Amino acid sequence: MRITEQSERKDNVVLSVEHVKKKIGRKWIIQDVTFDVQEGEIFGFLGPNGAGKTTTIRMLVDLIKPTSGVIKVCGFNVNRDQEKALQYIGSIVENPEVYTYLTGWENLEHFARMQPGVDRNRIQEVVDTVRMQQRIHDKVSTYSLGMRQRLGIAQALLGRPKLLILDEPTNGLDPKGIKEMREFIRRLADEGLAVFVSSHLLSEIQLLCDRVAIISRGKVLAVGKVNELVQQNAKYVVWNVAPWEKGRAVLEKQSDVEIVNHPELVLDDSIIAGMGEHALVTRMNEDRIGSLVTQLVHLGIEVSGVHNINPTLEQLFLKMTEGEIIE
Amino acid sequence: MSSLIPLVKNETIKIIKKKRFYVILLILLVLVPIFTYAQMRSAEHSREKFNGDWRLETQQQITDNENSLGSDRVPDEWKKFRKIIVQQLQYYLDHDVNPKEPNGVTFTREFMNNSVSLFIPLLIMAIASDIVSSERTTGTIKMLLTRPVKRWKVLLSKLITLIMFTSLIVLSTFVITYAISGLVFGYKGFDIPVFTGFQISGSDVDMSAVHAVPQWEYILMQSGLIWFVSLTVAILAFMVSVLVRSTAASIVVMMAALIAGSILTNMAAAWNSAKYLFMVNLQLTDYLSGTPAPIEGMNLTFSLIVLSIWAIAAIIVSFAVFTKRDILN
Amino acid sequence: MNSSNWIWRSVSIISAAATLLLIAGFVYAIQDVNYPQRAQGAGDLAESVKPPKGTSNDAIQDKKELKVAALGDSLAKGTGDSTGSGFVRRSVQEYSKDTGKKVTLLNNLGINGLTTTALLPKLEEQGTQYVLAKADVILLSIGGNDLFRGADLFTSVKNTSPNESSSSAVKKDSEVSKTSTQAKVQEIKPEDILKALPQASLKLQKILVKLREINPNAVIIYVGLYNPFGDLEQLKIPGNEAVTTWNNAALSLINKNGNMMLVPTFDLFQQNLNKYLSSDHFHPNGDGYQQIAERIVQSIR
Repeated sequence: MRITEQSERKDNVVLSVEHVKKKIGRKWIIQDVTFDVQEGEIFGFLGPNGAGKTTTIRMLVDLIKPTSGVIKVCGFNVNRDQEKALQYIGSIVENPEVYTYLTGWENLEHFARMQPGVDRNRIQEVVDTVRMQQRIHDKVSTYSLGMRQRLGIAQALLGRPKLLILDEPTNGLDPKGIKEMREFIRRLADEGLAVFVSSHLLSEIQLLCDRVAIISRGKVLAVGKVNELVQQNAKYVVWNVAPWEKGRAVLEKQSDVEIVNHPELVLDDSIIAGMGEHALVTRMNEDRIGSLVTQLVHLGIEVSGVHNINPTLEQLFLKMTEGEIIE
Repeated sequence: MSSLIPLVKNETIKIIKKKRFYVILLILLVLVPIFTYAQMRSAEHSREKFNGDWRLETQQQITDNENSLGSDRVPDEWKKFRKIIVQQLQYYLDHDVNPKEPNGVTFTREFMNNSVSLFIPLLIMAIASDIVSSERTTGTIKMLLTRPVKRWKVLLSKLITLIMFTSLIVLSTFVITYAISGLVFGYKGFDIPVFTGFQISGSDVDMSAVHAVPQWEYILMQSGLIWFVSLTVAILAFMVSVLVRSTAASIVVMMAALIAGSILTNMAAAWNSAKYLFMVNLQLTDYLSGTPAPIEGMNLTFSLIVLSIWAIAAIIVSFAVFTKRDILN
Repeated sequence: MNSSNWIWRSVSIISAAATLLLIAGFVYAIQDVNYPQRAQGAGDLAESVKPPKGTSNDAIQDKKELKVAALGDSLAKGTGDSTGSGFVRRSVQEYSKDTGKKVTLLNNLGINGLTTTALLPKLEEQGTQYVLAKADVILLSIGGNDLFRGADLFTSVKNTSPNESSSSAVKKDSEVSKTSTQAKVQEIKPEDILKALPQASLKLQKILVKLREINPNAVIIYVGLYNPFGDLEQLKIPGNEAVTTWNNAALSLINKNGNMMLVPTFDLFQQNLNKYLSSDHFHPNGDGYQQIAERIVQSIR
């Protein structure tokens, strides 16, 4: 249902980033970033540390001016027409930094005074939305990280933005909090808000986002719907055979099966941990599993397990950013 | 688009809620009684010395000064000055005011005079050095600058707030000093004449324009000058606060400048171009009281121009940097 | 919410008012420093305060503690005394030694070069009146400058003086080092000394009346004049004459008032000028002052 909605609103681009480049000192931190975010979609922004994620986000909200390229929000250039463009953006850049010596309510009042059309009722509305009614009049210094995260979102929502930018929104949250946050973001998107989320928790992004952009070393490597991107990815099959050497020799001989010598580079840690000692990781089409098992058994090799690994965003990510360290 | 007033309101609330201003008031409430006590002790000391009768002491001072008026060895300029002193002392006797036992007003005046180049600027810095850099230290600057408000407006609102608090600090220093010293020395003394109009050129003092003004007028003028000095210091600290990321570093930079100023004031008479440094020009109240300026060629107009140029330059730098700079952290 | 508004309202109003006030002060200060107006002096603001009442009229001898005030010219101040004590301090010490009483010198208001004319307005001053009113004994030395300065002696003697030092002696209130070079040469006219007499003694009368008015009970001791020019041929006779006339006039004034006395010094110095005069040949030296002091003490013992 979501997908159909999205395709209907194809032209409702809230955020457009065109060939943005940024040079700091002599170094090109961002080497050409282009993507669009549409109304009602959740857009994931992935990349290892130092890839330019934060720099890009800062450019989206005019904290940093791009060296070249254009960023538009609802048609307004963020770096030229700040007052109009920023009106449509609600954001949390990195951590939700609010004034700890003020109460939550005073913080909201503070930010409300900085944008037009936000009155007391709107503040109350936002407080209700993030379910902070009970603690809103306490000093922020007494809040937990989760509370601050919610207060951060509350302030981002104050001005009824069209685009919500969240930098690592699940950072520091417990599993329950993460689940709540995910549902919350979904709900906002369903109400028509475009949400731009950056995260290093790739499984989170996969579960949450409609579309993603993968960035590495200042370049966007891929942009697309999560499903489509994942489908492009190669499939892996894990074999448990005995005797191991014999089984390996058999599999190696197959022209359409490739043995992966360093599975830790392409597979999630959790999968590798569950594999057991004598597992063989292969890259192959799952259609071939049946005939291969028959062949192995026929040769007297015992097959104790065959696992088809479901493709994930993390695998894709690892593959695309091979060798780079992810936080 | 959005008006400045809500922004100024924000900044004001932040300063108050952050208890910065209370800290300043607290410093005053702690230090002023100490100074008052010291002054009280010295008053007691001189009282003991003269059998407890200040009138006799004062009359003797008058006589001594009159004696030196008759002496040929005393230069004429000095004689004028002595005459003024005699006139002043005579006033004390006529009005039954003990010059050695200061009233709250005189104490306040002298205290403010002594605090113009270091103490009050220090209080100002407690706010000025913090007003921009603290937003950067805590990262709230990101929240502040991602609002639909132009950056120069954000900075201007901070500057306006700073000016407001500069006035408040000068006022508070006066009120607290007067209130506390008045407890000990009495609250009277607003109409005591204070002499002003000494025109100093080089080592010569021109007394032709010396005249008496009631002390309250003198304090008003003095406070006005202190306010201007404070404003300049505030704006410079503001610039440093824009340039430097940490509040502590920003305070250290300004402190170093101020202390350098007070050292230079004492020894820079030979280095003439030192007079173009802002920190040498902070003792504006000296022009009022007739204390010679540390470097030849300095007068009120000169100092005001020097301070203004520094302040304007600081404002230009602040705005240029703040509106253009990338917020990287 | 309410607290925020309250903070904002009070801070903004107070700071705006303070700013305006301080700007006003600032502008005023610039004007005052750069274009000073010769405003009214302190005296114009003055408003008289009642001087304290005089002391009780117990006889000096009965008092346990004695307060002394001195006023007048350089003799009262003690010019010429190398110890700086003058007859005032010396008599205070002597009297204290003599009687064992506590004697305090309230103030020595002696001013070099003071004449009767200059002393009169001083007696109107609050400070002077205050000191005098507190005193039990008032030591007064005045008139010498009326006689010798009024006669323009200090510009005239040099030529006729037998030695350099005696000429400089005449300019009693100037620095010794300067006088000899400064003195103008002019013929001395002894009659000038006498010319100044009547007016001066009239003023002395006023002074004494005023003193009595200020302090009805104090013993007023007037130190008589001596002739410092007794060793100058031309000035010996007219000087003696003038000083005697003056002293007589003073004595007759003093006799009319109770509780006043004149301590004569004429005879002390008459034959002892070299012994008792200081190097300026006008003021007494320490010994001379000591002699005067002893006489004063005798008179009130």
